Amino acid sequence: MDERSDTPMPMNLICTVKFVPEPDSLTAGPHQLILNPDDACALAFALALKSRDPGIGVEVVSLGPLSVRPHMEDLLRLAVDRGTLIWDPGLKNSDAYVTSRVLSRYIAERPCDCVLTGSHSLDGGSAQVPVQIAESLGLDQMLGVIRIDPDRFDPTRAVFQAVDETGVTTWEMALPGVLSLTRESGYKLPYPTLTDLRREVSEELNILTSRDLGFSADEVGPAGSLTRVSASSPVTYGEKDPEIVGLDDNGITQVVDFLKKKGVGR
Amino acid sequence: MKKTCILQDTETPEKTTDLLAAAVRMYGRDGFESHVVLVNAPPATVTGRCHHVIQMTESLAAEDDPRALAEILEILHQTYGFDSILIPATTLGKMIAPRLAWRLKTGLATGVTDITVRDGQLEITRPAGLGTMLETILQEGQGPVIMTIRINAFEYTQKQAVPTRISPYSRPVTVRSTLTRLGVEQNIEPRDIRDFEVLVAGGGGAIRCFPALEPLADALNGAVAASRKLVDLGIAKRNIQVGQSGKTVTPKVYLALGIHGSMQHLAGLRGAASILAVNTSSHAPICRVSDLVVQGDACEFIEKLMGKLMHHPHKNT
Ligand SMILES: Cc1cc2nc3c(=O)[nH]c(=O)nc-3n(C[C@H](O)[C@H](O)[C@H](O)COP(=O)(O)OP(=O)(O)OC[C@H]3O[C@@H](n4cnc5c(N)ncnc54)[C@H](O)[C@@H]3O)c2cc1C
Ligand SMILES: Nc1ncnc2c1ncn2[C@@H]1O[C@H](COP(=O)(O)O)[C@@H](O)[C@H]1O
Repeated sequence: MDERSDTPMPMNLICTVKFVPEPDSLTAGPHQLILNPDDACALAFALALKSRDPGIGVEVVSLGPLSVRPHMEDLLRLAVDRGTLIWDPGLKNSDAYVTSRVLSRYIAERPCDCVLTGSHSLDGGSAQVPVQIAESLGLDQMLGVIRIDPDRFDPTRAVFQAVDETGVTTWEMALPGVLSLTRESGYKLPYPTLTDLRREVSEELNILTSRDLGFSADEVGPAGSLTRVSASSPVTYGEKDPEIVGLDDNGITQVVDFLKKKGVGR
Repeated sequence: MKKTCILQDTETPEKTTDLLAAAVRMYGRDGFESHVVLVNAPPATVTGRCHHVIQMTESLAAEDDPRALAEILEILHQTYGFDSILIPATTLGKMIAPRLAWRLKTGLATGVTDITVRDGQLEITRPAGLGTMLETILQEGQGPVIMTIRINAFEYTQKQAVPTRISPYSRPVTVRSTLTRLGVEQNIEPRDIRDFEVLVAGGGGAIRCFPALEPLADALNGAVAASRKLVDLGIAKRNIQVGQSGKTVTPKVYLALGIHGSMQHLAGLRGAASILAVNTSSHAPICRVSDLVVQGDACEFIEKLMGKLMHHPHKNT
């Protein structure tokens, strides 16, 4: 350690990852799971940084059922240093608040300079989890990150670009902090090498329960949740009985009125 | 009398009052007192429309600081005891609401598009599951109801003006974020078609005039999409293909220009709130799932609609 004391400590990055149903699997029955696309970009950025500086530590953590275990193991076959899966049956049907509480309590105990997350989960999430992780840890956070400048990313600060309604903004933010990437960033996960593919990693995945993290049964699952989904129904997409208009002035006026009623336009 | 707090839409201040419509859904037109927190807009934006304007004093905090704004809303809640706090689902709003909900230890419903009251219980509706499902959310426990409201989901029309009290908010904030803007560019990367509320999509019937879709999409604040036919022909890029082997989109309005409506195309449209089809044949399957059908040539349609929009540009209400 001593001879390295004047070089900066390598950074530790934690990527939160969620596995979601593959959207294009139209088949009935159990859905194929994929790594949430935004999360894949966040992890891809972390791994790209690590390939420049192998001293960087990259950890993935997921709260999800044991069925995602093989997917977590696939991530360990990339250059990920540590993988943690948090699950016990009590966590079933936890809302975003509970998810945030559990993940942030875990992250708080880990060495971490930057938490990298997705902006949205594909299965209908709405960016609540990363923001609440940041709030719980007392950190800054940004959604919609599309690029992080690897040369201005160190334990003290990050410079990055994020999209919002106005366009693309370049930001500087102090680290530790939480950066939430979107799939528009285009960061791509590397393919595992053949040797990596053959690696036996099942022993390497840490599996923790909510109890291990000090939660009682009434703090997780529906009991600990602050919201409940009471019903869900498919967006009806049945046959309609549309009005048919022509290309004459009356028709175009009806189109303009239709658009106005829907509140679209500049 | 219920109390509702509404945070200003800092992007489009005029849209702030639309959130009053969400409060009307919860409490009835005369059942609540509205407190609107203004961050970067003058009181005139909402006077006469809400009961109380809370104007954040200048230089108290950056207008785009989610941590400072969450703290301000928390303190206001401690002062007034709101029954609900409504936040526009802008990028900034999405970074404020979860922080506020965390601080108040209360549930959050995000991207809300509808609210109903059944037996005194609020049922909050939001799209989920790639926009193909609607979820009904119930809040558990005490605390104010916090929601982010999907932009354009509600529209407020006023019956009569109400007297508005204006008070300043000047209490120094204790938490600020370290975020600093180094620069802003207009969109350099084309945004994902899934992020748009309006899509102007072209198919086999719009081959001739595909480039003309772009200005129309611009005029409608939307983006261009395409059927697989145009992708296969090399006319459109793959990342704007809608359908089974393309993207699933959830726009508010989908304009299908010269698109037949094959099963595979419709698979990507399950979440579209409304569809306007332009087709030479009113028997094309797309027409059966549309809200309005224009029978005619797609290219001529674009020309005529553009002409109308240029002469009578309409504003959002
Ligand atoms: C496994 C598989 C996956 C597929 N995935 C997709 C997918 O993801 N997305 C997708 O789109 N397709 C997909 N397809 C292809 C799909 O089956 C159709 O072939 C395709 O959608 C047809 O495109 P279209 O409707 O634009 O063109 P066309 O079938 O050529 O239809 C053109 C339509 O335009 C009308 N028209 C003609 N001239 C005019 C005019 N001048 N003005 C206005 N209207 C006019 C016609 O009446 C017709 O309705 C897939 C197919 C397979 C087998
Ligand atoms: N169960 C989970 N496990 C790990 N990460 C999660 C989980 N849920 C959400 N996240 C992270 O939070 C991001 C936004 O999710 P959401 O708030 O569901 O839209 C995701 O892209 C993930 O990075």
